[in-house]
Amino acid sequence: MPAIDKIDARTGIDLRVAAGCQTRHEAVDVEGNYVIAVEEGARYEAFFLMRGQKAQIRVDLLGKNASCDLKVVYLSGSGADNILLTDIRHVHPETFSDQTVKGVLAGTGQARFDGVIRIPFDSQKCEGNQNHRAVLLSKDAFVTCTPELEIYADDVKCAHGSAIGALNEEQLFYLKTRGIPQAEAQKMLIQGFLSEIMPADKIKLIENWMDAHE
Amino acid sequence: MALLEIKNLCARVGEKQILKDFSLCIEEGTVHAIMGPNGSGKSTLSNVIAGNPAYEITAGTVLFKGKDLLKMTPDERANEGVFLAFQYPVEIPGVSYATFLKQALASKMKYLGEKPLDAMHFIKRLKVRAQALGVTDEMLKRPVNVGFSGGEKKRLETLQMGFLEPDFCILDEMDSGLDIDALKIVSDGVNIMREARRSFLLITHYQRLLELIEPDVIHIMVDGHIVETGDKTLALRLEEKGYAGYR
Ligand SMILES: Nc1ncnc2c1ncn2[C@@H]1O[C@H](COP(=O)(O)OP(=O)(O)OP(=O)(O)O)[C@@H](O)[C@H]1O
Ligand SMILES: [Mg+2]
Repeated sequence: MPAIDKIDARTGIDLRVAAGCQTRHEAVDVEGNYVIAVEEGARYEAFFLMRGQKAQIRVDLLGKNASCDLKVVYLSGSGADNILLTDIRHVHPETFSDQTVKGVLAGTGQARFDGVIRIPFDSQKCEGNQNHRAVLLSKDAFVTCTPELEIYADDVKCAHGSAIGALNEEQLFYLKTRGIPQAEAQKMLIQGFLSEIMPADKIKLIENWMDAHE
Repeated sequence: MALLEIKNLCARVGEKQILKDFSLCIEEGTVHAIMGPNGSGKSTLSNVIAGNPAYEITAGTVLFKGKDLLKMTPDERANEGVFLAFQYPVEIPGVSYATFLKQALASKMKYLGEKPLDAMHFIKRLKVRAQALGVTDEMLKRPVNVGFSGGEKKRLETLQMGFLEPDFCILDEMDSGLDIDALKIVSDGVNIMREARRSFLLITHYQRLLELIEPDVIHIMVDGHIVETGDKTLALRLEEKGYAGYR
């Protein structure tokens, strides 16, 4: 995440979103450890594209109505092992978090996503959502996802889900019956899969990656 | 000349044999209709012709324009001129209809070694056909088949057919789920495509469609193969008596 420097060496915080502020953060090839602090009424929105890096992202929600929306796409082809660790800390009551992580694996690509949501016992009325989906383009690709909910407060809403699978055969067949060859059809379906969270200007990077991993 | 020649075709899913010694020959420029009870294998036949890998061919041959169709991938078959309008078109979230059609046409042009259409000509080609079928710009911006009504999906299948200009069109129950006006619109869309080198295979349960698109030949399919072939009067007879005599 070269866009961010450590702004507070003492607390180890890399990015602080000040009370009432809203920030949008986009980065490609995110790597390393990052801590983001979100103050009262502030919002942190991020989109990260990863291509075989290791990143650990911690978001501390420090004041009422602090929220974060973390969207990550990871790509992992032969020889790569993409590791994403997230740690969302609902330090204050009435804080909100969303995480959507989508992965595409090809060849012998590997990936791991471990996401922790922590809600301590006095952080009531918090909401935390985590969703992970991965598409395996080859039988030799491998991905693990371990969600961890550390929830001590009783009046909270939390949800997590993970789905891992191959591309839908029926959809592939439909595209092919319209004359679209396998590689193109796969590319279209992957773009369709990622388009929900992918900024339009980064779609080209996906195409390039798919071309390199056919 | 025969456009499509199917001989003694057998196909199955898992242990279930669905097509049993199925034979059919379709001449260039003709319209054939297949009628038959639920589960007799009509959609299976369409899928096997289109190349759906879910079905295993255990015997028989299929020639299209004299070439071995069974050796071709589904996209090769499409680009050779086979088109299947699905009974249940699949939804593809995240892929817009316009992008999809552009890619389909570009693939065909590439296969035929022709230059791709520029954006202007693409839009023109699409608009003319879309208007005739009552397909709006808004519909074309939406993801492929997602959230469309049954009737809208059938119109869009017909639009794709008109747009890609195939030589052989299979219409699998394209009349189901259409209201009376839409049925007329879609039938017109098919009728204007009828020409000397293009053939059609209509799969239907209802005589009504065959009044709007007049077939040259009607076949009755029961239990995986054709049991009777005749002219238009066959459909009328069927309307009266049902399939009781064939089972
Ligand atoms: N992919 C499949 N897996 C399992 N069974 C299948 C599959 N496809 C078809 N069948 C079975 O094969 C038989 C023929 O199905 P098919 O869909 O071809 O019939 P149909 O003639 O099109 O029927 P309908 O008039 O109801 O559309 C049915 O018994 C069906 O359940
Ligand atoms: Mg059917």
